[in-house]
Amino acid sequence: MNQQDLRMHAKKPIKPGTMLGKAGAYIVMGVFAFMTIYPLVWLFLNSFKSTTEFRTNMMGLPVDWTFDNYITSWKIGEFDKLIGNSILYTLGSTVGITFFSLLTGFAFAKIKSKATGLIYGSFIIGILLTIQSLMVPLFLEVTSIDRGIGDILRSLGLIGPGEFRLFHNTRFGVLIIYIGSALPVGIYMCTEFIRGIPSAIIEAAQIDGAGYFRIFRSIIVGMSRPIAMTLSILNIPLLWNEFALINILVSETSLKSLPLGIYKFSGGLSSDYGKQFAALVIGMLPMLLFYIAFRRQITAGVSMGALKE
Amino acid sequence: MKKKICSVLVFLVILSMGAYAQKTTITVFDYIDATAPGYAENEAIWQKFIDENPDITLVKEELSNEPFHQKLAAYVAAGTLPDVIYMYPSGRSTALHEQKLVKDLAPLLGKDFLSNFIPSVTDPSGQKGKYLAELPQSITYTTVMFTNTKLLSDLGLKVPSTYAELKAMAPKLKAKGIRPVLMANKDDWVMQSCLFSTIVGRMLGDEWIDNALAGKVKFTDKDFVKALEFVQTMYKDGVIGRDTIQISYGEAPALFAEGKAAFFIDGDWRQNAFLTDASSGKALIDPKLQQTDFGFYNFPAIPGEKNPGVASAVLGCGYGISASIPAGSDKEKAAVRLLKYLYSADVQRQYLELGRYITSRKDVKSDKLEPFTMKMVQYHDSVPKTCYVLDGALDTSIYTPLNLGLQQIGLGTKTPEEVAQSIQAAVDAWRAAHK
Repeated sequence: MNQQDLRMHAKKPIKPGTMLGKAGAYIVMGVFAFMTIYPLVWLFLNSFKSTTEFRTNMMGLPVDWTFDNYITSWKIGEFDKLIGNSILYTLGSTVGITFFSLLTGFAFAKIKSKATGLIYGSFIIGILLTIQSLMVPLFLEVTSIDRGIGDILRSLGLIGPGEFRLFHNTRFGVLIIYIGSALPVGIYMCTEFIRGIPSAIIEAAQIDGAGYFRIFRSIIVGMSRPIAMTLSILNIPLLWNEFALINILVSETSLKSLPLGIYKFSGGLSSDYGKQFAALVIGMLPMLLFYIAFRRQITAGVSMGALKE
Repeated sequence: MKKKICSVLVFLVILSMGAYAQKTTITVFDYIDATAPGYAENEAIWQKFIDENPDITLVKEELSNEPFHQKLAAYVAAGTLPDVIYMYPSGRSTALHEQKLVKDLAPLLGKDFLSNFIPSVTDPSGQKGKYLAELPQSITYTTVMFTNTKLLSDLGLKVPSTYAELKAMAPKLKAKGIRPVLMANKDDWVMQSCLFSTIVGRMLGDEWIDNALAGKVKFTDKDFVKALEFVQTMYKDGVIGRDTIQISYGEAPALFAEGKAAFFIDGDWRQNAFLTDASSGKALIDPKLQQTDFGFYNFPAIPGEKNPGVASAVLGCGYGISASIPAGSDKEKAAVRLLKYLYSADVQRQYLELGRYITSRKDVKSDKLEPFTMKMVQYHDSVPKTCYVLDGALDTSIYTPLNLGLQQIGLGTKTPEEVAQSIQAAVDAWRAAHK
C-alpha cells in the first residue's frame, strides 16, 4: 500500500457496519487479552501475600506486602544453581537442534538417493512419539549405555570402580537427548523449507567447484534464516519449560533445571501458597522478559516460517 | 626438600584414599514438596544425620506427586532402585511390594525398636506384600469433623451424636446464614475419601468391599445403593449444601475459620491449614481460640449402621530399604542407621511439632504443640475402629467413577442406582482385565 492509497483510505467514511465489526473485534481481543493477563497479574500480586493472608483474601490486593516468599523460594528451590543449567540446556539445545535440522534437511531435500525416502520417513515418524512414551525406555537406554561403557573401560583399566556417567546424570546427556527429541519436527520443517530453495543455485555452486559442506555453509544457512528463526522460537519456550525428560535424566540438584525447582513447590495438598506463587513468578519471569524483548522477532519469525520465499 | 614434599603428598593421597574407602554412600529417594509444613526444618533434620555420621555419604533426591512416581517407575524398570526409598503401604508402590524389591524391615530394625510403634503400623498384613516393606510414619484418618463448638453453644446447640440431631440443627444454622457442614466438594475425591469411606465402613464394613472385589457381591446391591442414598439424603436434608461442589480445596479452611460453617469435614492433615505460619507468625485460627472454641469429633451415628464409631483411615507412608543391597554389608548397616534416626523419638517429635503428621511412635510427647495438633492426637485415640479409605482399597479405574458419581449425586444429575451401575461396570472391567 503506497502513500496515495493510504490517503484514499483515509478519506473514505467509516461505515456503521465496519465500526460495529471493529468494536466486536476489539471486544473479543480485549476479552482474550484479559483472560491471558489477569491470571498473571493475580499470580504476581498473590506472591506478595503470606499463606494465611492468601486463604482469607484470595482476590484482593495484599494488605501486608511481603518479599519473604521470594527470598525463601529462591533459597529452597536452589534457583541460583538451576538457572544457569536452564540457560545452558535451552541455548545449547536450540543451537544443536537448528544446526542438525538444517544439515539433515539439506541432505534430504537436495542430496537424493534411493534410501532418502526411507531414512526421511524413519526420522519423521518420531513426530508421533510422545515424551511420556519415551521416558522409561530412554532412562533404561542411558543407564544401560553408561553401565556398558563403564564395564568396558573398567575392564581395560582406564577408570576406577566408581560409577561411570556419560548420558545419565550429566549435562552432556541432557543436551544430546533434548536435541534428539526435537529433531523429527526440526528435520521435517527444514526439509520442506529447503526443498523450496531452487536447485539451480546449488547446481551452479557445484559447477563452480563447491562441495556439499561449502554449499550448506554459504548458501543453505543464509537462505534458511527464516526457518532457523522459527525453529528457535518454537523450541526456546519448550526447552525452558521442559520437565518430563530432565526429571528422568538427572538426579543431582547441581544438574537440574528451573522447572524441576519450581515443581518442588507443587504440593498435592499445598499448604504454602505464598512461596508456591513466588516460585512460579521466578520461573515465569525469564520467558516473559524473552517475549517482551523479542516479541517483534517472534511474530516475524513465526509468519516467515509459514511462507517459502 | 622436593622429596619431603612428595612424601607428604603421597601420604596425604594414601590417607585420603583410606578415608574414602571407609565412607559408605547411600542414595535416598524422598517424597517431599517445598510447600509441606516445616520443609526448611526437615532439611536441617537430614543435615544433622549427615553431620553426625561422617562415615556415610548421603545422596538425596527429592520429588513429589506424579514426577516422583514416574521416576520410581523408571528406577524399577532399569533395576537401579536407590538404597532408601519413600514408599506407600500399597497403591502406587505396589510394584515394590509385590516384586519384593525392598527388604523386610522387621528383622533389620528389630523387635525392641518396633515395640515403640503402635501395633497396627508394624502389622505386616496391612501392607501389599504382607511383610514390613516400609514402616508407616503415621496412620492417616481421613474423616474428621472439625467443629466450631463456640458457634454451636452460642446458638444453644450441642455437638450431635446422631445424624438425626445433625439434621435437626441444620434449619437453625441456615437461618443464621451458617452452613451446617462444609466440605470442599469441588475436588471430587473429597467426598469419597473424607466422608463416604466412613459411611461405607459403618453401613457395610471392609469385608463387604473385599467380597465386592472378589465378585461375591455387587456394587449395585441394595446395601451399597443405600450407602449412596445416604449421601443423597444429606444433600436433600440441607446438611450439606449443593453449593459445596463449587468450593475448592484451598478455600474451605478460610470459610470455616471465618465462622461460616459449624462443621468442616476433611482429613486429619487439614489441621495444618489452621496452624501458625512460621514465616508470617499468623494463624488462620488463633491458637487461643483453637483451644477454647473448636473440637474434633467423629461423624455422628448414621441410620442403618452396622459398625458404630468406625472411621476411615489408611496406613501412612514411610521408608523402605532396597533389596539389592547385600545383606550384612556396610551399605545395609548405613541404611538401617538412617532409618533408626528418622524414626527416632527425637525426629518424630520434631515432625509432630512441625505439623507434618501425627506420628505412629507411641513414646513421642511434646509441650510445644498448638491446640489443634494436640486435639488431633486425642481424636486419633478416640476412634474405636478404622475402616478402608476407598481410594486406598479400590483400583483407580473403580474409584474414579465413584468420585465422579458422588459429585453427580450432589448435583442431582444422577441417581444412586445409576452411580452404582457405573461403579459395577468398572469393577467388571477390572476383574476381566485381572483374570
